[in-house]
This record gives sequence, structure tokens and C-alpha cells, in this order.
Amino acid sequence: MHKPFQFVLRPIRQLLGLARHAVFGLGVSAFVAALAGISLAHAATGDFADIPALKGRVTDTTGTLSSADAARIEAKLKAFEQQKGSQMVVLMVPTVQPEAIEQYSIRVAEKWKIGRKKVDDGLILLVAKNDRKLRIEVGYGLEGAIPDAIAKRIISEAIAPRFRNNDYVGGIEAGVDRLIAVASGEALPAPEVKQSWSGKPDGPTGDFNIEWFVVAFFVALGVGGFLRAVFGRFFGAMLTGGGLGAIVWFLSSALGWAAIIGIVGFFITLFSGGGRGGGGWTSSGSDWGGSSGDSFSGGGGDFGGGGASGDW
Amino acid sequence: MKRALLILAASFSLLLAGCGYNDFQARDEEVKKAWAEVLNQYKRRADLIPNLVSTVQGFADQEKDVLLGVTNARSKVGSVQATPELLNNPQAFAQFQKAQGELSGALSRLLVVAENYPQLKSDANFRDLQAQLEGTENRITVSRKRYIDEVGEYNKLVRQIPSNFTAMIFSYKEKPQFTVEDEKAIAAPPKVDFKAKPAETAPSAASKIPAAPNEYTK
Repeated sequence: MHKPFQFVLRPIRQLLGLARHAVFGLGVSAFVAALAGISLAHAATGDFADIPALKGRVTDTTGTLSSADAARIEAKLKAFEQQKGSQMVVLMVPTVQPEAIEQYSIRVAEKWKIGRKKVDDGLILLVAKNDRKLRIEVGYGLEGAIPDAIAKRIISEAIAPRFRNNDYVGGIEAGVDRLIAVASGEALPAPEVKQSWSGKPDGPTGDFNIEWFVVAFFVALGVGGFLRAVFGRFFGAMLTGGGLGAIVWFLSSALGWAAIIGIVGFFITLFSGGGRGGGGWTSSGSDWGGSSGDSFSGGGGDFGGGGASGDW
Repeated sequence: MKRALLILAASFSLLLAGCGYNDFQARDEEVKKAWAEVLNQYKRRADLIPNLVSTVQGFADQEKDVLLGVTNARSKVGSVQATPELLNNPQAFAQFQKAQGELSGALSRLLVVAENYPQLKSDANFRDLQAQLEGTENRITVSRKRYIDEVGEYNKLVRQIPSNFTAMIFSYKEKPQFTVEDEKAIAAPPKVDFKAKPAETAPSAASKIPAAPNEYTK
């Protein structure tokens, strides 16, 4: 009674010790990362103009567009997106100083990720009102339909003359109309009907996906059951947990997650089949999303600095 | 026996993975990708030049020096072999960068000269080319920035514990970074000259650019 109990307990204690080390290491690295993050964030945003949060297709922080105007342009862009699948947004800010409009614009593009992932058919019409500068930032996938020269012409022929007369709504609308007209000519993959933009852009961008928990669960159940049968309950669990951790570590280089997955796999294998908590894990499934229908977010499109800038 | 082998294999692969061997491979590939994009955009710029030169020539044939400067700089750029191996050779990298910098200088002089020709400036073809050139320059800036970020990550891996041991074993070296072509020239305030002698100032400026930066101090 005493001996097998020790036999189980001691490795667990060792494992926990290991986990504690891992967690400590994780804590230290998290602290360092946080520090670096703070200084980076400071460097990135401390001196530069803020990028507004992406709430809709038309973002105006200057208060120039009336809500009716914004809604009309928004509807236009939304209709185009539903028809062609390509995302276009309008951003109007007071100033992009001290950066050049190109630098600010690419930062917006990298943050908002307008356009579908891999198709990269996003477009941003950026207006810096007080700087009297504007830019059309074109995603990779639209560079064929809207080459730089066309973007420049749209700026100088459709938008800038109206802006000069303080007709900001008219300028933006004319620009949007022409952009939609030229982008319509591009053969793009058809929009996915099911994919409303309420869906989250896929997951955290890090190396780790929540799906792995699910995978770990099934691997632990399947392979773990087999290993348990061959090596016995404890060693089977050890091998399963260790193997899982190793695989996760190998694939993601995220040591902390590897340790956690490994431990989860270990305990699942250890206790499953004994009737002790088999069902408890399924609740951690990954049903997320399904939020309300009208929110808007970027689809993960990439930009490479294409487009044109202008002033008025 | 079987178990020992298994553990050995697992621990070996773990050791390798833990020391960042895989990270090196992944990062190296990212750097190469970013570099390919830089090359791609520089190529795009070089491809624009013949068209640009001939368009400007149509309106401003007398600006021979500036036009020649651009053409020469372009052919120099073409002569530098831009291969992925360039990344592991700092000297070749510096040479490549210098050639591209000279082309940038020659192009900006061409655009300055073009300002003097209203007909050229209003020519639709020239304006389109100018827009393309601007867009390409911006793409170059973006791709260079992304390359710089990727190389920064790679070089961190080369220098940080514990992956620096892996770097030592496999002799991975830091990759060269882009630097400002001519720091002193940027630090110096621009000279404003009101005596308009574009025909004379342009070639002298063109001959100065290739000189090493430290010659500016003399």
C-alpha cells in the first residue's frame, strides 16, 4: 500500500518540480518579454500618431463626415465586399505626423490586416486632414487591378480637386466609386457566403493554437491507451505526456505550452480508463466566435507598400 | 532496451530543438524570403528605368549628364550579382547596397531636373512613370524594413544563450543589416544654392556620390 503509492507520488513530485521550473522560467521570460514589449510599445507608439481601433469600414476621428455620410459610404463598401469579397476601408485622421503618410499607412495596414488572407485584396484610403495628405494603400492582390499609376490618377483626378473645395465627403465618395470600379475588373476568388466578418481573424498569431489542446486530448486517449496497455499505467502516461510535450516543443518552440500539454497528456492518460474524469476535458472545446452579425474586422490580408500618395 | 533507445532518440531531438536548431532553419528561411522581396522590388525599380529615361529624354535631351548618371548607375546595379549567398558575404552586401544607393541618388537628381520642364511634368506618361517609381520606392522601403526586422530576429538568435552555442557548432553567422548609405551626408544640413546652374551642379554631384563617406569630411 505504502510502496506503490510512493512509486506514483515521487515521479509526480519530480514532474511538478520540473513544471515549477518551467513555470518559473516562463515567468521570467514573460517578465522580460513584458519589459521588452513595454519599451517596444513605447518606441512604436510613444512618438507616433495612434492608429484607431478598427470598428467599421469607415473610420473618421476628425468628425468631418456626418454619420449619414459615413453610413452611406460604409454601405457602398459593404456591398462591394459582399459582391467581390474584397475589403476596402476608409480612414480619416487629423494628422500622421511625425511620420510620413506612407509609414503611417503601412502601420495601419499591418495592424488592421484588411483583405482576405492569402488573397490580400485589401485597400485602405487614408486621409490625413490637417496634413492635407492622402494615400491609397493597395494590398498585394489588388496591385494588378489598381497599379500605382491608377491610384495616383484617382487621387489627383477624383479626390484631390474635391478636397481642395473642402468637399471631403464628395472626394471620398468619388474616390471610393472609382476604386470600386477598377477593382471590379480584377478576377478575384469569389467571396465565401458563409464567412461573415463577425468571425474572428484566426486565433492568436503566436506559435500556439488552442486546437492543440483538443489534439492532445485525443492523442492522449488513443496513443495513451495503447502505451498504457504496453508499459503500464504510469510509464504509459509518462511516455504519452513526454511525447506530446516533445512534439509540441518541436513544432512550436513554445516550451511553456509544451510543458502544459505534456502534463495534461500525462494526467489524461493516467486517469482515463479508470473512470475518473474522462468526460471533464471535453468542455474545453474551441467553440468561439458566433458573435453578433455587424462587427467588422480585417481578414488577414497583406500589404507590401503598393499604392500612391498625394496631397491637395 | 527499446525504451532506452526511445528515450535517447527523444532526448536528442529535444536537445536539438531546445537549442534552437529548428528556429535557425525557420528564421533563416524568413530572412531569405524577406531578402527575395527586397531584390524583387529593386528589380522592379531597375525595370522602370529605361522607360523613364527615354520619356525624360523626349523632353529634356540636353540633360545628358543626369540621364547618363541614371543609366550608368543602373548598369552598375545590374552587374552586382544579387544572389541569396550575398547575405552571407558582408562585403558583397555592402557593394550591392552602395550600387543601389547610387541609383537612388541618380534617380532623385533626375526627378529634380524634371521639375524644370513643365511640359515633361504635365506629360501623362511621365506622371504615370513617376507614380510607379514612387510606389516602387515605397515598396523598397517596406521590404527593407521587413528584412531588417527578420535579420534582427535571426541575429538575436545567433547571439543569445542558449542558441548561440548552436550557432557556434553549426557556424551560423550574423547576417548583414541595411544601414543608411551615407550617414554623414544625412547629418550635414542641405546646402541651398540660389545661383541656378543645374547643368554644372548636377554632374559634380553625380561624381561625388560614389566617393567613400569619409571623404566628405576632408
